[in-house]
Amino acid sequence: MEDLKHLVLLMIGILVAFTVVMTMVAYTVLAERRVLGFIQGRLGPNRVGPGGALQPFADLLKFILKEDIVPDKSTRFVYFLAPVIATTAALMTIVVYPFGPEIHLPIIGTIRLVIARFDVGLLYVLGVTSVGVYGIALAGWSSNNKYSLMGGLRSSAQMISYELALGLALIGVILQSGTLDLYSIVEQQSGHLGITGWNLIWVQPLGFVVYLIAAIAETNRVPFDLPEAETELVAGFHTEYSAMKFALFFLAEYVNMFTVSMLATTLFLGGWNGPFVHQLPWLGVFYFLGKVIFFLFFYIWLRGTLPRFRFDQLMGFGWKFLMPLAIINIVLTATIQWSGAFDYLAKFLKTTTGWGG
Amino acid sequence: MIAVLLCVLRGERILTTEDTEKHKAMLGLLFILFAGMAVGCAISMVVQRNPLYGAISLIGVFISLSCLYVTLAAPFIAAVQVIVYAGAIMVLVVFVIMLLNVEDEERQPLRLRALVPIAIGLAAILFAETAFIIVFVHSSPGTPTTNISDVGLTSSIGAGLFTTYLLPFEITSILLLMAVVGAMTLARRGGLLPRNVVVVPGFQVLAKEVLDPRSTPDLTPVVARSTEEGEQLLGVAGAAHADDE
Repeated sequence: MEDLKHLVLLMIGILVAFTVVMTMVAYTVLAERRVLGFIQGRLGPNRVGPGGALQPFADLLKFILKEDIVPDKSTRFVYFLAPVIATTAALMTIVVYPFGPEIHLPIIGTIRLVIARFDVGLLYVLGVTSVGVYGIALAGWSSNNKYSLMGGLRSSAQMISYELALGLALIGVILQSGTLDLYSIVEQQSGHLGITGWNLIWVQPLGFVVYLIAAIAETNRVPFDLPEAETELVAGFHTEYSAMKFALFFLAEYVNMFTVSMLATTLFLGGWNGPFVHQLPWLGVFYFLGKVIFFLFFYIWLRGTLPRFRFDQLMGFGWKFLMPLAIINIVLTATIQWSGAFDYLAKFLKTTTGWGG
Repeated sequence: MIAVLLCVLRGERILTTEDTEKHKAMLGLLFILFAGMAVGCAISMVVQRNPLYGAISLIGVFISLSCLYVTLAAPFIAAVQVIVYAGAIMVLVVFVIMLLNVEDEERQPLRLRALVPIAIGLAAILFAETAFIIVFVHSSPGTPTTNISDVGLTSSIGAGLFTTYLLPFEITSILLLMAVVGAMTLARRGGLLPRNVVVVPGFQVLAKEVLDPRSTPDLTPVVARSTEEGEQLLGVAGAAHADDE
């Protein structure tokens, strides 16, 4: 009976997390169009509902009602499989992120706002994300279109290259916290007022910058959106996709953006930590989502500001600049950890100012 | 039943012997599911004529294997299996298949017919081994239950790799480094360009012979922005066009 209750709770948890993420993703798309409109001196969609608030639903309806075109000489099975892989891989990572601390509910009792707490949570995220590459690569191959193929090839090359820098940037955090469990990593970042313990503030500023840049490249966003560079490749890997299958790729891109922001929040910005979380645990959820929204806004801001890289610049930047930087970060972190300078500094701050990590 | 499913879903560990005894049915069901998937994908990989379908099947095998590792309470190996094999190596394989645009393999008459009995013999030995292991495990007294609570966890694997097995670990990494360096040198050898020429994208590398067919074979490379600039640098301006007339 107890087990059944846990299973039901688990399913409810998955449903709630899924709904929250999907709603926020839908409104990220709207926010992106409005903010880009603002940056470019125009209005953006503001007709459906008050201020355009119902635009995501109108878009969804349109995607469902459009004709679904399958190219004549495509490899049908793979052509159908590709968007499924892309979306599934994007959505699967949601389960490991801690949305908030332990909270008390009237009937159910105390629960943690995290769906699955793995011993290898971080590796799980990396593994599932790396499977997502196939969605794009196979879409490009199966469409039987040279622009799609070029887009797919570019994307797999880009994602393999930047996955390396991304993974190496995370090693600094792992070295510091000594665990791969995301919930413990967040718990370790509490500290004074829930702010001073953030990994970003202590010894991971370099790792944070490398992660942020590599994450943009992993999600194929501007300025690294070469897989779908419209001036060169029509629309890249999803040129031949229409209606709901295109919508799935679109969804995957934005969910990826969202999960990458969640990982950045969890690892570098202290997750749900913030002032007064210990008194009011529900605040944690708002802190977490607020930080995620900050990253999403940052992405949109970048898209409105920066031009696109050339492909050789992209590769050179990833391999010759970001990767050495990430390795330097690992060496620095390891040296600081080994020498105990960090602990000394924390103790010093605690005795002098009352702050502590 | 539900408890095991819950454990697997939540990534918790089911390791104590009492638990395993209690939930034998569910664990068996999960094993049959994932093992079936793995075997099915493996057969599909061999049978498929299209190389890309083969690659996709192989990815399926890796993912089912990693699911099996999760049910065996080895989360680290499971994650690494997906990251390294499905996420890195197979992406490269798919990449190469896409890049070379490999066609469907043609069905050829079976050469090497003599190898068929040997294959059957090897398969029989494999089955005998499996049967032996099953019988042996069933007849032996219960497996030791102490000190297995942290087997397969990231921390215990890390501690093992950097203390007891440090030398093999380092030797393996040197071996991998050698393979990378070797691949680089092999790929770079016998290039068409002399060593001192660096190709800058957006520029052209031209040889004098290409621009002026009447000149003696002269392969001196010249880096230029455009063909005209190259012609001027080589002092053969207009030569190729004059030839056309």
